[in-house]
Amino acid sequence: MTMIEAINLSKTFRVAKRRPGLLGGLRSIVDPEVRLVEAVRDLSLTVEPGEMIGLVGPNGAGKSTTIKMLTGILMPSAGKVRVAGFNPLHQRREMASHIGVVFGQRTQLWWDLPLIDSLRLLRHLYRVPEARHTANLKRLRELLELDEFIDTPVRQLSLGQRMRGDLTAALLHDPELLYLDEPTIGLDVVAKARIREFLLRINAERGTTILITTHDMDDVETLCPRLLIIDHGRKLYDGGLTEIRERFGGERVLLAVLDPAEVHALPHDASGQPHLADLPAGVHLAKSDGPRFWLSFGRNTMPAHELVAWLGARYQLKDVTFLEPEIEDVIRRIYEENLLLHELESIPQQA
Amino acid sequence: MFQALARDICLYIRLIAMQVKAQLQYKVDLALDVLTSFLVTALEFATLLIYFVPFPTLLGWKVGEVALLGAVVSIGFGLAELFGGGIDNFEVIIRQGDFDRILLRPVTALMQVSTTQFRLRRFGRITQGLSAFGLALFFLRDAHLVWTPLKILVLCLGILSSALIFVSVLLLGATVCFWTVETTELTNILTYGGREMLSYPLTIYHQFMQRLFVFIVPLAFGTYIPVCYVLERALPFALPNWLAFSSPLIALLFALIALAFWRFGVHRYQSTGS
Repeated sequence: MTMIEAINLSKTFRVAKRRPGLLGGLRSIVDPEVRLVEAVRDLSLTVEPGEMIGLVGPNGAGKSTTIKMLTGILMPSAGKVRVAGFNPLHQRREMASHIGVVFGQRTQLWWDLPLIDSLRLLRHLYRVPEARHTANLKRLRELLELDEFIDTPVRQLSLGQRMRGDLTAALLHDPELLYLDEPTIGLDVVAKARIREFLLRINAERGTTILITTHDMDDVETLCPRLLIIDHGRKLYDGGLTEIRERFGGERVLLAVLDPAEVHALPHDASGQPHLADLPAGVHLAKSDGPRFWLSFGRNTMPAHELVAWLGARYQLKDVTFLEPEIEDVIRRIYEENLLLHELESIPQQA
Repeated sequence: MFQALARDICLYIRLIAMQVKAQLQYKVDLALDVLTSFLVTALEFATLLIYFVPFPTLLGWKVGEVALLGAVVSIGFGLAELFGGGIDNFEVIIRQGDFDRILLRPVTALMQVSTTQFRLRRFGRITQGLSAFGLALFFLRDAHLVWTPLKILVLCLGILSSALIFVSVLLLGATVCFWTVETTELTNILTYGGREMLSYPLTIYHQFMQRLFVFIVPLAFGTYIPVCYVLERALPFALPNWLAFSSPLIALLFALIALAFWRFGVHRYQSTGS
């Protein structure tokens, strides 16, 4: 059974335009000027059980709106959606037992109670049989190392601790599908690594399908073999990371380590930087640091091995490394230059 | 369907019990809270009766009779505050954006909302109401009032009905929050205003207010009308005596209307996303 099946989901909001000034405000009550905002347009998505997917897009792209439609909080303006076999809107309560949701910025735990009280209360809210709840709690306590703060009131927890608490809360009822909205936001490097490890583990052990909304590209690279890019309400891309890199990666970087004595002998330009003469067309020196030179070249400019050969013929190469473009930069390029949007628009409409 | 209802009730009791447990942990605080609540409501009750210092009767009603009316209103309103606290507090849930989380749980939204904010201190008003009842009986000792089982029944039904109607008004007020975010003063007019007004005999008010509290927001059915029955006075608008026993039905009807409006509000929330 497909875990998520969304077909041509759309959501249009009616937003009342505010007229400026006092008179305008009064007029707005009697005769509101409404404009239509298409938050999500024709989004189709199929997710099989056990997948881990990253949902990426600039702010205001429609990611939250999409998630809300998938979780039954929001009614779609058009399109069909089924999650875990349920209609999220009409079978909200039945579906709720099969999904877990973690919001990075809001907690679902009771603020004034110790963490353990919240976790116990959730057993009753989700009607989990006691034995299963106890077993799950024990396992999650171990995996997420909750024991040191499980008796502390939630309002006194650090962000990392609270996030672990929220993850536990979302998983106590063994949901088949987990939605994470910015799960690593604000966390330190170590905490982020632990959370990512944990997610990989539950996906491997329990086959939990995981959908992560994130701005953190490391999240995407570590966790998501499949990436969904959303912008202006539309699904721009649905596929793997490597393909995105190759299509939009722009330039690759070759990091060459030359012999220091040789570097010293090179002609230096006005700012004191060593200058590599006669670089092939399309190759330029991005930066240099002592004996290390970062050479940036377009993917289609010249094959990598030819550049290495060219360098090797002229200089003593101590070491050579290839750096892939940062996925962050790739995504930024896509947003800023509306690369995929252009592509989408040039495809003729299918009847 | 009944299985689901039974489970919901179990869950309701459990959630309330948890809050009770938390509040019982601070016994001194709780005792002080209840005492303060009692004193404040007692003061409000006293101001009701101040009228009778210079004047012997209010449109034919004596002090004991008005005290009885005030007591009945207090108990009903106190019960409503006790069980409807979460609903009254709904504007906070909306304003903080916590309603989404409520929709993500496999439990009815209204149930979740109504189990928040259960405060034991509201027993202060209920206790005050019961004491006022005793006081009323004291005032009425010379009135040769005959207490029959039917009269006791009609009072009990009336109190429970008025509690349900007050909670329904709170629910209507909460539903409006889907549009306005903050509770409007309109709700307060009907709850606090209603409580104040119905503590006096309905007949002192303009026809419009009488019609409002009998036919539109039928609070009178839970307070004024049962008390009229007990005191063997005529019901307003020449309604037949036995109608005093219909208060639960009327309260139920009103509650169903409030519930329908709530569902409409939730539906609207889900279609506009805010």
